[in-house]
Amino acid sequence: MSPIKLLERLIQLGFVLFGISLIVFLMMEATPGDPVEIMLGDSLASAEQKELLRRDMGLDRPLVARYLHFVGNALGGEFGQSFFHRRPVADLILERLPATIELTLVAMVVAVAVAIPLGIIAAVHRGGLLDRLASVGAMLGVSMPGFWFGILLIMLFAVRLHLLPVAGRIGYSHEVPAVTGLLLVDSLIALQPASFLAALGHLVLPAVTLGLAMAAILMRVTRTAMLEVLSQDYMTFAEAKGLSRRRILVRHGLKNALIPTVTVAAIETGSLLGGNMIVETIFAWPGLGRLVVEAIFARNYPVVQACVLFYAVTYVLLNFVADVLYTVLNPKVRL
Amino acid sequence: MTALLAIEGLQTFFATPAGEIRAVDGIDLEVAAGECLGVVGESGSGKSMAFLSVMGLVRRPGRVVAGRILLQGEDILGLAPAARRGLRGRVIAMTMQDALTALNPALTVGEQVAETLEAHAADLPTGRAARRRAVRARVVEILGLVGLPDAGRRLGDYPHQFSGGMRQRIMIACALVCRPRILVADEPTTALDVTVQAQILDLIGDMRRELGMAVVLISHDLGVVAERCERVAVFYAGQVVETGAVRDILDRPAHPYTRGLLRSIPRLDDPGRRIEPIPGQLTPADARPGRCRFLSRCALAAPPCRADIALADLGRGHRVRCVRLRP
Repeated sequence: MSPIKLLERLIQLGFVLFGISLIVFLMMEATPGDPVEIMLGDSLASAEQKELLRRDMGLDRPLVARYLHFVGNALGGEFGQSFFHRRPVADLILERLPATIELTLVAMVVAVAVAIPLGIIAAVHRGGLLDRLASVGAMLGVSMPGFWFGILLIMLFAVRLHLLPVAGRIGYSHEVPAVTGLLLVDSLIALQPASFLAALGHLVLPAVTLGLAMAAILMRVTRTAMLEVLSQDYMTFAEAKGLSRRRILVRHGLKNALIPTVTVAAIETGSLLGGNMIVETIFAWPGLGRLVVEAIFARNYPVVQACVLFYAVTYVLLNFVADVLYTVLNPKVRL
Repeated sequence: MTALLAIEGLQTFFATPAGEIRAVDGIDLEVAAGECLGVVGESGSGKSMAFLSVMGLVRRPGRVVAGRILLQGEDILGLAPAARRGLRGRVIAMTMQDALTALNPALTVGEQVAETLEAHAADLPTGRAARRRAVRARVVEILGLVGLPDAGRRLGDYPHQFSGGMRQRIMIACALVCRPRILVADEPTTALDVTVQAQILDLIGDMRRELGMAVVLISHDLGVVAERCERVAVFYAGQVVETGAVRDILDRPAHPYTRGLLRSIPRLDDPGRRIEPIPGQLTPADARPGRCRFLSRCALAAPPCRADIALADLGRGHRVRCVRLRP
């Protein structure tokens, strides 16, 4: 991709982000419920005290002023104070982010590692037993809600078989010095294999729950792309050259089939963030998703705004990454 | 002398829900070392499928059900898949109709030519760097030979960066880099502009002399074959209906289908002549055994045509599958 095209894309990105910030801000404005009332609950605060708190939180100023204030601060990484924690929102997010990143990455790796080989095998043995099983599995995978699938997993592997833990990132007995915030990495850096295994054990169920839908979609995309590729003339020509079957499938097939697959994978990773809210709630995962859910119920505007903005920006950036990857993989496309 | 390639009684059938389709139904052909055989027929006549069968590239639900394919005297139908693969691209190579779709859009042309070599070459040096240099040298050499200008600098380019004619040359280079004994060129000019067609046919002829290989030129254009080949085989509905030296076939066509083909070619030297198309069209139903395959379209159809017709020898290798006509 040429630098000029890249710059164009980045400017487009700027407009999209502006739109997102506006929508995020207005959405929270339109949500019913007065944060001051909710915060004070049924307490005996007088009308003057409520007014004071409202002014304190900047809620008495006009809409446009508040929006500009919001954007200005957001650009500086300043999202205000959480109404409840009485701490900067940015701190809260940074504190929760590593847990979410770790969960999302592992879920993505699991999904990709399962889906791509399965999609290829299903395509190569089209109509075979494995293809049919994979298709049924994919159907279940996309249609089974995460909250239900997660609970099923907990019932089987935690409650009945006592194989895996149900909640949290790691047992209380483990103390891992924070370097990256990702427990799998940090425990390895600290040379604590027991902690690594504990963290891994805690990751299995939430990651599988989170990655299931993505795996199902990726499997379908890989299979379809591979079927399309298998019928191409260049596959026959590669065979006519006397190449081995393996080389034909990997070099000629996969390289082309991966073009749509990688694009979808990057976009789907964005959707994983949405799934995080449910999965983190079920598995008591101390990440961003749970922070948002708690903040929504509490009308904790600054936290919700900041998190939704964060999700949206990540999603847009992942789409951008998908575009770039698409051009890198596909020499015919120049953005 | 044994032929370089001998096809005997080859049958390739496709199992479909509607029944068995006899794509290739009893083909006998020989290709001598260094000669050029033209294979002519319309779409669905089985000419491509016959040579895909020879290459071992028939896809399901198609299957070679009977016959022998002797390559350098050895029946290759009985070979293990790995041994069969070792012949493809090394002893017998094939080019496809359209280089645009036959070349992989995601791989550079250098890689695509090199991989044929890497799949077979036993004579490459063993060291990694030396091997890479040797492969590169042979790739540049063959690309230069097929007439790709500035080949050394274009190895890293992708197929879409070349013109149609250049892509065709690159595909031919992929097929010829291991210097095969025989090249099957499947409709090498159909996808090309008229101005480039002659260049590509010239190239195939040049390479044939240069490498001393035999060429099977598959085409639906009898004119092209007449001009470039020594012998011709006319395919119809999965069978060879007439075969012989190009001169004999052009001068004394013995099968009504061949005559029809000749009458339907426009000629510059005889502008007053009317072009007579062959009525009707070839359908899978024509490939039924127990009758002449051309029966439904033939003006000379008669009761004796309702039986399996054998190839009759007219002398000098001129053979025809018709009981009604003799030249």
